[in-house]
Amino acid sequence: MILGNYLAAVALFCVGLHVLLTRRNLVKIVMGLSLMEASTYLFMVSLAYRGGSTAPVLLSPPAGKTAKQLAHGNVADPVLQNFCLTAVVIGVAVTAVFLSVVVRIAQHYRTLDADRVRAMRG
Amino acid sequence: MTRASIRDRSAVAHAAAREATEREPRHRPWLGALLVAGVAAALGLAMAGMPREHAPLPLIARYALEIAIPRWKLTEPVNEIVYGTRGFDTFGETFLLLAAVVSVVVITRPREPRQGYFGEAAAGAREQQQDDPNVGSDATEEEARSAERREQGEQPPSGAEPVETPDATPLGTPAPETAEAMTVVVRNAVRVVLPILAVAGLYLVTWGYSPGGGFPGGAVILGVLLLVYASYGRRKISKVIRPGLIETAELAGAGLIIMTEFLGLVFNGSFTANWLPLAPVLTPLSGGVAQLFSAAELIEVGTGLTIAVFALLGMTHDWARDDQGEPGGGGRKR
Repeated sequence: MILGNYLAAVALFCVGLHVLLTRRNLVKIVMGLSLMEASTYLFMVSLAYRGGSTAPVLLSPPAGKTAKQLAHGNVADPVLQNFCLTAVVIGVAVTAVFLSVVVRIAQHYRTLDADRVRAMRG
Repeated sequence: MTRASIRDRSAVAHAAAREATEREPRHRPWLGALLVAGVAAALGLAMAGMPREHAPLPLIARYALEIAIPRWKLTEPVNEIVYGTRGFDTFGETFLLLAAVVSVVVITRPREPRQGYFGEAAAGAREQQQDDPNVGSDATEEEARSAERREQGEQPPSGAEPVETPDATPLGTPAPETAEAMTVVVRNAVRVVLPILAVAGLYLVTWGYSPGGGFPGGAVILGVLLLVYASYGRRKISKVIRPGLIETAELAGAGLIIMTEFLGLVFNGSFTANWLPLAPVLTPLSGGVAQLFSAAELIEVGTGLTIAVFALLGMTHDWARDDQGEPGGGGRKR
């Protein structure tokens, strides 16, 4: 049942969201964002799955199948795999941006507590 | 020792441990849990309506599978989608990546212009010793300075230290080995694995077999560089990993991508259209523009991720003003 995968992705997303909403440590917030990101990868790869299908490669189809038949059903969805591929790379770069901001905040305010990073307070 | 004194000791140890680890503050956990439960319910309902494993492939996927070989001569439909059917989207994502890398570079940059990602402290040493860097020093001052250095037993701050490589350590030398590098076992393992990893990654990209082509290829390049960095230390890679070189390569990759896609508009009437002759299936040139795009993406992703990671690793410059002398500061007063 692929629905289990979908629900696992939802659970992962919610764990990340909960971290984001309730934690105050900036590194943990970045980790929460990464978890939410990872949940979308799981979701997209699960969405690409087709029961009893093969990888979308046209090079050597399984015995008794032609490349033309592959195009008409029994392969995993290549478009969603493509989404996932690019999302992973972008995710790494965006996490790097978050972490560099966190390091600068830590250097400047000497704390990782998001609640104490309020330059305009009082 | 009495039982009470043991209990006292363990209590003290506990308190010390609690003080040493950072206190973990939380923010309205129940409100957060409520909001998350709402999101989970909404997403769960949405998931019930998603297509399952027996749904037919979407039209765009079938279209991509059908045209992969006839139109692009690519046997890897994922590649065909990344660089062909959805080429414009990949184009946008590439520049999102570039924007992220530029942000990292801007956020992590030090005050002084630098040669490499590490050793910023040494880079400004000469200027720091002078009253005014713009005024040249005369012979008397030089003599006084060298005498001072001799007295303090310091090396001249010219950066002319002999470069020690971990491989110069003879076998059987007792620990610790050269601090920067890992043990001889790890170094030899890395030496064996590296060429295999690098060649395998590039091979898959060149022949168009790897789904996504340059994207995973670029990540493999980063992996190779990080393995060298982790096992041999930063000096081994300082010749290659310097901003002047890889930032130039990154922008060259971006320029190549723009050119590749724009020439489609010039020669074939639409952005991202193929303008290269297609070679037979299963040859390096089989995808036409898709393979060129993939190679440019290899440069772009490989250098972009490398810049991001090493800019973060080299982020040592402390900008904080520490006037109040807070505990744990350790910064200089200015």
